[in-house]
Amino acid sequence: MSGRLIIHDLWIGSIVLQVALAVALLAKRTWQNFPAFAAYIFFCLFEAGVTYALFGNKVAYFWAFWTCETIGIVLGLAVVREIFTNVFSPHPALRKLATMIFGVAVIALVLLACAVIYVQSANATGMVNAVLLAAEAARLVEVGLIMFLFLSSSAFGLHWRQNVFGIALGLGMFAAVDLVTVTLIGHVGVTTQLAFKLARGVSFSASLFIWLGYLLVPEHATSGAEVPKRDQLEQWNQAVMELISR
Amino acid sequence: MTITVIVIALALCAVMLFYMAVRSRIKKAGQSFRPVDLSAFRTLIDREDELFMKEKLPRSKFVRLKRQRIRVTARYVGRIASNASAVLHASAAVRVSPLPEVAAAAAQVTELAAQIRIQCLVAWAKLSLEYAMPSLQLTPALLVPRYQTLRENVRRLGDLQTQSQIPLASAI
Repeated sequence: MSGRLIIHDLWIGSIVLQVALAVALLAKRTWQNFPAFAAYIFFCLFEAGVTYALFGNKVAYFWAFWTCETIGIVLGLAVVREIFTNVFSPHPALRKLATMIFGVAVIALVLLACAVIYVQSANATGMVNAVLLAAEAARLVEVGLIMFLFLSSSAFGLHWRQNVFGIALGLGMFAAVDLVTVTLIGHVGVTTQLAFKLARGVSFSASLFIWLGYLLVPEHATSGAEVPKRDQLEQWNQAVMELISR
Repeated sequence: MTITVIVIALALCAVMLFYMAVRSRIKKAGQSFRPVDLSAFRTLIDREDELFMKEKLPRSKFVRLKRQRIRVTARYVGRIASNASAVLHASAAVRVSPLPEVAAAAAQVTELAAQIRIQCLVAWAKLSLEYAMPSLQLTPALLVPRYQTLRENVRRLGDLQTQSQIPLASAI
């Protein structure tokens, strides 16, 4: 099976998965809690339909693809903002500090993205390279912000709700692979370009699986059984006491 | 070329981070409260004897002892941070209680646990600095009273919410 055929099959597969995800979002009313994520998924489905319909017309496909990609990246950033609000809103003590650090992270990432555009603009001749460069800068900001979310919530010891974690993980995985793709695809030969496109398709399908899985599997509830028994606590206590008296 | 390498490195770091986050989440699924001996911890962070040691011991021995002490202190801070994180997770479910006093107590506990997490970050930063420069004295003194207040609040929450009274209150 040729690489192009695999990519085509992946494309069809991802459309099927997107339809399943859209149905799951509607059935579980997830769009009420995550409107930006729902908008992102419905837009991805719309994009898949439009680009599939225009696949035969190269010029129309190019413009439709990159216009939809731009809107998709903006919606992706809105999803990041939604995750941030969801993770930190129950913790007013952390929210102020986290918002401040988030702001600094946004500024730093935008500056890095500007540096990427400035340094690479000399080599980015032609419309395709310019579009790839813009996509690289935007994805850089997106990946950086998702990394910040994971790092900050880990530093603050926050427990993510299952569906929020799934949304962030799926978006982060796809954005990271897409960042590598848009960064390198302009510098490699046709065969490697095909490999990158394949990797991008696989990562998007994997993200769809992650989203579906995390949305459909029921959330694990904290139970009293997880709390240790008294004698167990005493054993741990004894161990720490021994550690101190060493 | 350098900037391309930086971008690729960032993307690869992101993938690694996501992998670690998934692993840590699986590990944390079985996370529970662990005891903290506060009087021992207090003794550890009381550094009045440090000046005496500094005067009496050769510098190399003093540095070695101080770093040992810092490592143990860091473990305690880590345990307090871990317990505060477990409290954040456990109290999240109680915050939506239909009983207003239970919900209010849970909100207080959550707030305090979040503050402790921040204090732990500060304490780790201070301990790291001390580890690098053992002549410094930066005691994370705020941590003990905050943690005690948390214990009292959790106990109060346990009293209000009879179902979780014994485990939550006695575990930390």
